[in-house]
Amino acid sequence: MNVIPIVFQAEFMRRIKSRSYIIATVAVMLGISVLAFLPGLLANQFSSSTRGIVLVGPTNITSRAKALLAKDYDIVATYPTLTEAPSNAYLDKNKKATAVAVLERGTRGLKVTAYARDVTLFRGSFGRDLVPLNVALATNLPSAQIDPLLTVNVDVKSLDSKFHDETAANIAKGIAYGFVLVLYMSILINAQNVMTSVAEEKTNRIAELLVAAIPPSQLLFGKILAAGATGFIQIGLWVGTGIALAPVAFKSFADDSTTKAAGASALATNLPDQLGPAVIGAFLLFFVLGFIQYATMFAAAASLVNRTEDLGSLAAPLYTPVIAGFFVAQIALQFPNANGVVVTSMLPLLSPFVMFTRMTVATVPIWQIALSIAVNLVSSYLIVVAAGKIYRIGLLMYGKAPKFSQVLATLRA
Amino acid sequence: MLEVTNVRRAFGSVQAVDGVSFSINRGATFGLLGPNGAGKTTTMRMLLGIFQPDSGSVTWDGKAVDNVTRRRFGYLPEERGLYGKMKVRDQIIYFGRLHGMTDPEVGQRADAWLQSLEINEYAQRPTSELSKGNQQKVQVACAAVHDPELLILDEPFSGLDPINADILLANLRALQARGTTLVLSSHQLWQIESLCTEFCIIAKGRNRANGTLTELRRDWPTRVVRVEPKSAALQAVLAATAGAHERANANGSLLFDVPADLELPDLLRRLVGAGDVTAFERMEPSLQDIYLRAIGETV
Repeated sequence: MNVIPIVFQAEFMRRIKSRSYIIATVAVMLGISVLAFLPGLLANQFSSSTRGIVLVGPTNITSRAKALLAKDYDIVATYPTLTEAPSNAYLDKNKKATAVAVLERGTRGLKVTAYARDVTLFRGSFGRDLVPLNVALATNLPSAQIDPLLTVNVDVKSLDSKFHDETAANIAKGIAYGFVLVLYMSILINAQNVMTSVAEEKTNRIAELLVAAIPPSQLLFGKILAAGATGFIQIGLWVGTGIALAPVAFKSFADDSTTKAAGASALATNLPDQLGPAVIGAFLLFFVLGFIQYATMFAAAASLVNRTEDLGSLAAPLYTPVIAGFFVAQIALQFPNANGVVVTSMLPLLSPFVMFTRMTVATVPIWQIALSIAVNLVSSYLIVVAAGKIYRIGLLMYGKAPKFSQVLATLRA
Repeated sequence: MLEVTNVRRAFGSVQAVDGVSFSINRGATFGLLGPNGAGKTTTMRMLLGIFQPDSGSVTWDGKAVDNVTRRRFGYLPEERGLYGKMKVRDQIIYFGRLHGMTDPEVGQRADAWLQSLEINEYAQRPTSELSKGNQQKVQVACAAVHDPELLILDEPFSGLDPINADILLANLRALQARGTTLVLSSHQLWQIESLCTEFCIIAKGRNRANGTLTELRRDWPTRVVRVEPKSAALQAVLAATAGAHERANANGSLLFDVPADLELPDLLRRLVGAGDVTAFERMEPSLQDIYLRAIGETV
């Protein structure tokens, strides 16, 4: 009789009700929500004081500058002349502004002298926003002639047929990054849970009672299936939260209003296309393959410890490929077809992260995908067989920790 | 019938079990005895198929013990362990299901065990909240809920107070009455002696003695003779008997080990001829005597 469903049910219920699982799941959902909302909330909270500017200068210059800066800054007042020396008290009197900018015609266009509480305020868009005024003052040309010349339309023709434009490619990168992050966290949390569970069963001696009743392989498989199922639920909740809040996050992170509007619109248009069955299917496939490999390795390792306190030192080397895979995936976002990335996408343990990223952000030859899946299937099988042997013996091995040579002897048996 | 034939098992350079053999009839209650480190737990694990012997065989009704067979067995390991956060009743049901039981029978059997072990008031409590003794009773229920054909109990009485030990003893007798084959290991020999019908004593991984108590006594080379009063004349007669050795701590009697084949009527005649005899008793060796001698300790 197959007892995997019985073990699965008991393990699933124990896991899904466990405080650590609920806390981890909710904490990450809250984290995603905070990442989406916090920048916007902070910006709204502090916008009046952090982006408020007083403009000083001739009316014909300040009026044009006000129009150009309005989309990114809050112009709290304009004055023809500076009536007192700029100071914090002067800024406080002007609606607690952050800076005063004195604009005047210079020898080569516009000259700006700014006095600021926050010197970083003048990085980025401030100078860009005033470029048309600068050119107008330098050339004496009317705005109607200058404005069309300030934007160069580049018609990008992608050689990779996967994406029709840059926005779609960027959204694909965002999706790949988000999914790899979820993959990384889910594998870490759930494989760690399997490890803790095995170690607890061994150290509290219930393992002996279990393996007296059922084959260790079925016990192990039931546990891993249950952890995988709870992992799927976690992923569903996290990805759902991420997708629901993605437009909010995009608005919060965009650095100017034009990008915000365009980005939100592009996201609404592209997200459903990008999150097609291929991406979801690849994600689920590589999650399953990655999870099986890591969870069985973690379980086998846990079966060798005699005290749960020893789990930390044992887990450290096992985390290395997870972290390495995650970091190579970051490189793959930018260089999906670099030689090193291509090779890594074929390696067991690393490829679930790297190949999924490559498939999401670039067109990967079918043979490479097939090879990667085949390598992962074979390595999953080998890892399960090897881990099963170690688990079966390790579970009943008490006393001093086994030597590496004993573990090798177990694998050869 | 459980047949164990010349099983051996080594862990690295340590030979834990070195050619142990015994057989247990269906429905028998079998005591597996030996000092710490004798190889009892390893032997029990081989009976259950948790460990495979390096050589030798273990069969149940003539067939090797496989995954299907051992689900009809039950096991109470020496080291106790349960899921601390799981409720007591759920825990017993879980183990029943692992052994192949289905609803609603498993629930009914769990309730029956909770009742008979007198722990039904804790049925909905997490196991970690129970005392050590009550946790042990829960584990007994987990091991026996499926009414196993063979129940192996490693030190079932350790950690139990006398009242709980009696409750467990009563439950084991009920299992005996239902025909369950029991294998027990315990250092509390008086309980084992009262419960078991057959014994195997092992030490350093090897058989030292096998058989029923009658068979073990039959092979015992001496008997103890108790004589009263403790007079010099009677002591002289006993001391002059060939092969007789006086025991210490006789508590007002004369206690002598004498050869098992000694003609007791002849000895009694000689004692009566030497003086008044108010008590004359031939005592059988206890299981403890046999055990200590078998493992190499002097009695």
